[in-house]
Amino acid sequence: MSYKTAVIGDMDTATGMSLAGATHTHVHVKRDETLAKLNEFLTSDEIGLILVTHRVAEELGFEFRQMMRTKRLLPLVLRIPDKTGYVPKVDELQETIKRTVGAEIVVKKEGG
Amino acid sequence: MNADRLIKFELARLNAHLPERRISLKEALSLTKPQVPTRDGSVHSFKRKELEILAKLLPEADWEKLQLPIFIALEPKLGRGAAKVSGEVEAKVAAKLLGKEAARELLIYRPEVALLRRNLPTTTQYLFVW
Amino acid sequence: MATALAVSPTRMELMKLKKQLNLAQRGHDLLKEKMDALVMEFFEIFRKIQESRTKALEQLSTAYRALTNCFALMGTLETVQAARETRRELQIEISSRYLMGISIPAVEFGEIQRNALTRGYGLHMTSSVLDEAAREFERALGLLVELAETEAVAFAIARELEKTKRRVNALEYILIPRLKGALKFIMMRLDEMERENFTRLKRIKAIIEEHR
Repeated sequence: MSYKTAVIGDMDTATGMSLAGATHTHVHVKRDETLAKLNEFLTSDEIGLILVTHRVAEELGFEFRQMMRTKRLLPLVLRIPDKTGYVPKVDELQETIKRTVGAEIVVKKEGG
Repeated sequence: MNADRLIKFELARLNAHLPERRISLKEALSLTKPQVPTRDGSVHSFKRKELEILAKLLPEADWEKLQLPIFIALEPKLGRGAAKVSGEVEAKVAAKLLGKEAARELLIYRPEVALLRRNLPTTTQYLFVW
Repeated sequence: MATALAVSPTRMELMKLKKQLNLAQRGHDLLKEKMDALVMEFFEIFRKIQESRTKALEQLSTAYRALTNCFALMGTLETVQAARETRRELQIEISSRYLMGISIPAVEFGEIQRNALTRGYGLHMTSSVLDEAAREFERALGLLVELAETEAVAFAIARELEKTKRRVNALEYILIPRLKGALKFIMMRLDEMERENFTRLKRIKAIIEEHR
């Protein structure tokens, strides 16, 4: 099935992704507005991928994590850095690995 | 006993993802959406990139003989980490990809399974046998 | 936690237990194979994520830089306006595929790369910096779509792996020892009863002999 892409972030992210063809964009200003928009995107049947910047995801805090835990298979949600390149210290994938494989495998940059 | 039922349920679940029927490489290449129906009513899609890899590995005459997905059979009897690819053309193409000799059946070991899965993630599937 | 099972020491129970133990051991062996395969798939996907992330994030930085450049040379307002006019109908194809009982997304997309005409922001707005920003973001988006799929698969595998590990452990540390314990108990009791029987028979025989 064909799906569209959505973006939630700052102005630069929204502008850039629009140029690339993303259909729905939301520039984050107020927390509850953004949460409402995110919910709209998550429940839309035509959106397959939502890009959210790390900064916004962090600002949305607990509710965001909650929505990620309870969401359906689609749309896929991917967190990306904004133009500042900010990436949070805690890597969810790293945490998942620790839990699953029970070992500390460092997320390397290259090789592996 | 309750545990019996749970175990039987888990065993059934092991192969529930398997396709209801397979299609040949030739047919898959001709479809815009190359996929097979699964036993539980959904679909399993093949990535075009993999179909092209397989097509390059085999002479065109074999394309309608190759049944997809290729099954990688895991059977505890074979020993832990060992697997089997059955079917003449299936074994042939797997052997070619691994750089081995072809036979009617191909017995492979963990690193070879990993290689097969890495190159053909959607066109191979695990099959549990007991 | 391997508490004993309450069973009556009969031969029928013995047979039943042997069958259950057989089933449990078969289940255990198969689930172990599944676990091994899942671990392998997980490491593979993990390796892919590393590669995919590095590539995507690098490209994304490049794209942001190109955009900043575009803002500087073309003006912010004009750039945003152009973005609004762009044809924003990018379609990605998502279908399902299966891996050992788990449903995972299979994502493919058609041409993301376009040119000024097909992008739609109009020839009057065309400037090379805008084209460049658009092109870099198109490339970034393509890589990010791939990354999203890979991450979704990784999490799905991790979840299934945890479930399977739990089942294997339940079989290995709880059920199978319990069954083996119960089996041992029954065999011991049956042996004992047979010995008692044998002794009793001997005594009866002796008594009969005495009375002859």
